[in-house]
Amino acid sequence: MSAIANMKQGMAEFKAMDAKDKRSKVIDTLLNNAIYILLILFVIYTATQNANFLKISSLVNIVSLAASSLPIALGIGGCIVLTGTDLSAGRVVGLTAAISAAMLQASDWANKMFDTLPEVPIPLVILAVILVGGLVGLVNGFFVAKFSLHPFIVTLATQLIVYGLVLEFYMLNGNNGQPLSGLSDKFKNFVTGTMFSIPAGNGQTVAVPWYVLYAVILVGIMWFIWNKTTFGKNMFAVGSNPEAANVSGVNVFKTTVLVHTLAGCMYGIEGFIESARISSNNAGTGLNYESDAIAACVIGGVSFVGGTGKISGIVLGVFLLRIIFVALNMLSISGNTQYIIKGLIILIACSIDMRKYLVKK
Amino acid sequence: MKKVLALVLAALMVFSLVACGSNSTAPSSAATGGSSTGGASTPAASGSATKAAVFYYSFSDTYISSVRTALDAQLEAAGIEYTDYDGNNNQTTQNEQIDTALSSGYNLLIVNMVTSGSSDTATAIADKAKAAGVPVIFFNRAVEEDGNEGAVLGAYDNIAFVGTDPAEAGHMQGKMIGNYLLANYDAVDLNGDGTIQYAMFMGDASNVEAIYRTQYGVEDCDAVLTEAGKPALEYFDSANTNKYQLDMNGAWSAQAAQEYMQTNLSQYSEANGNMIELIICNNDNMAEGCIAALQAAGYNNGEGTTTIPVFGVDATDSAKALIAAGNMTGTIKQDADGMAGCIALLASNVASGSDLLAGTDSYTKDTANGLDNKIFIPYQEYTGE
Repeated sequence: MSAIANMKQGMAEFKAMDAKDKRSKVIDTLLNNAIYILLILFVIYTATQNANFLKISSLVNIVSLAASSLPIALGIGGCIVLTGTDLSAGRVVGLTAAISAAMLQASDWANKMFDTLPEVPIPLVILAVILVGGLVGLVNGFFVAKFSLHPFIVTLATQLIVYGLVLEFYMLNGNNGQPLSGLSDKFKNFVTGTMFSIPAGNGQTVAVPWYVLYAVILVGIMWFIWNKTTFGKNMFAVGSNPEAANVSGVNVFKTTVLVHTLAGCMYGIEGFIESARISSNNAGTGLNYESDAIAACVIGGVSFVGGTGKISGIVLGVFLLRIIFVALNMLSISGNTQYIIKGLIILIACSIDMRKYLVKK
Repeated sequence: MKKVLALVLAALMVFSLVACGSNSTAPSSAATGGSSTGGASTPAASGSATKAAVFYYSFSDTYISSVRTALDAQLEAAGIEYTDYDGNNNQTTQNEQIDTALSSGYNLLIVNMVTSGSSDTATAIADKAKAAGVPVIFFNRAVEEDGNEGAVLGAYDNIAFVGTDPAEAGHMQGKMIGNYLLANYDAVDLNGDGTIQYAMFMGDASNVEAIYRTQYGVEDCDAVLTEAGKPALEYFDSANTNKYQLDMNGAWSAQAAQEYMQTNLSQYSEANGNMIELIICNNDNMAEGCIAALQAAGYNNGEGTTTIPVFGVDATDSAKALIAAGNMTGTIKQDADGMAGCIALLASNVASGSDLLAGTDSYTKDTANGLDNKIFIPYQEYTGE
């Protein structure tokens, strides 16, 4: 209701303006929402070129692709709110994916890495990857907070360290760098199994995988943490001005460490999901995941200026990148163009974002 | 408090260096290149014994890992001291590692170049080795452009190449697919339109092997089909003029293939009568990614489900297991042990002071270009034990 009241008030204010103000107001609104307008135009264009784009099966595909890259983006978002970043994210995903796969290989699989390992309960594996991810995050956060190092440097270092661990892990127990696959059916069903099916019209059904639900749950949890907890408020306070936060009694050290640790836990869950989704994990798994996650966050308005950002923005950013991926495939445009379009969108999104900030100043 | 912390950190750093040194194969860090092998034992500059420096393009590559494990064991057995370097998919890093290794007294270079098929890169490495008076054994990745054979291998002494004929895997894969289709044509042609709609997944746009596999995997299959009076293969998406989907990270990854295939399957299905009927992949990782997407959509799950034939290259352990389970159809085996064995033989020749190529007459060589020092390890078809 209040939204409608707001709109009514906005309209009333708009009517009261003179012609010049009206024009600048319209331009402002258009510019501030340019990314959404471009997205809608892009979707309409793609749909006219390939009618399949907006069919149920395609929409489910976009949703599940987006769901698969949400956890890492939700995690990295917190680091960006603190004006930082996290370059180790992708490698942590690689490490936790490897751990999940190694623990959940089918017992009759010929190349089982730990061949004597009994069936591990799935909750235990989830706990393990959250712990491993969280531990890397804890290290990141500790060095950032304790030594006032820029997260770029700290996470660059941990990225290398974690990659070394990943390579070592694949050499364990005579595995010799072979990919980890042959995952147990229980694991695969838990992640990629059918949650429910949507009828697609022509007698077919489209399966929605379980990991979509997990992504939704994570979005809910993160929304709660960001908006409804003291820790969330502290995070934004530290992000916008650490000195001011410190003076007003926020424990900057603890907040920074916790944000990075939470991010690490998210990468752990991402690794768990990716492990089952890709089903063949090797040392390259997780490569460059952080760049897409960071891109999704900044497109969604989580600003490197610090202290601003919304969970809904991150979700939108993730969807936007996935829509571009699917649309360019459906338009049969080569991957090279995808890089250019992605780059342009990041540039435009960040420019618009900064423009808002400069106007405020 | 701060001092204690600093002390602990310093101790940690020293410890990590020591840990590095105790390992016979010093894994070098990616960003800083070879200089970070700090803890590795430094060979004496006098160089009476043979000390080999082995440069891998990337430790994360599955096939290369198999070669590394086999080669480590064989060099050890031959009593040759060695150090492994990870080029981390970056030629600059590898060049720096080579410089460092030469200056620290290694007297045999075994190089898996990052930039595949570049004679310029290979020449630069060969020049460095020549200046240092050290023999070079290139392996796995091609060192010369197609049509430029001999530019490097013919121009230097004490140089050899152990690898595969870059086109061979593609040719072999194409023929294998062609023969498979002839034997199972009606079963594969799901929509009964008389032609087979295929999808192709490419690992790396700039890799010679990937380019040939992408080209010949289809062309040779077409040749087999048309000879038997069947129509040629048809790419499933007529609007895509490339006729392949590419891993844009150049990582030959299962993830890229999985995401492409999942997206393809949202438009193409058996019920729509336009299902992709054949999948050709540049390697087994990508094949496994495709199979993951197919399985999620209800294909390739054994009894009672439609199985789309999927072909790869490498014959990794997991691909073999998938073939045994009937979820994958065929692959081409790259012989990691065979390659490592040949490299170890050449290295032992260097160590014993005999001719670099002594005892290699039984191997297949590039006789077409008269290059006695270009040794090919043959590929093999693999469709199950």
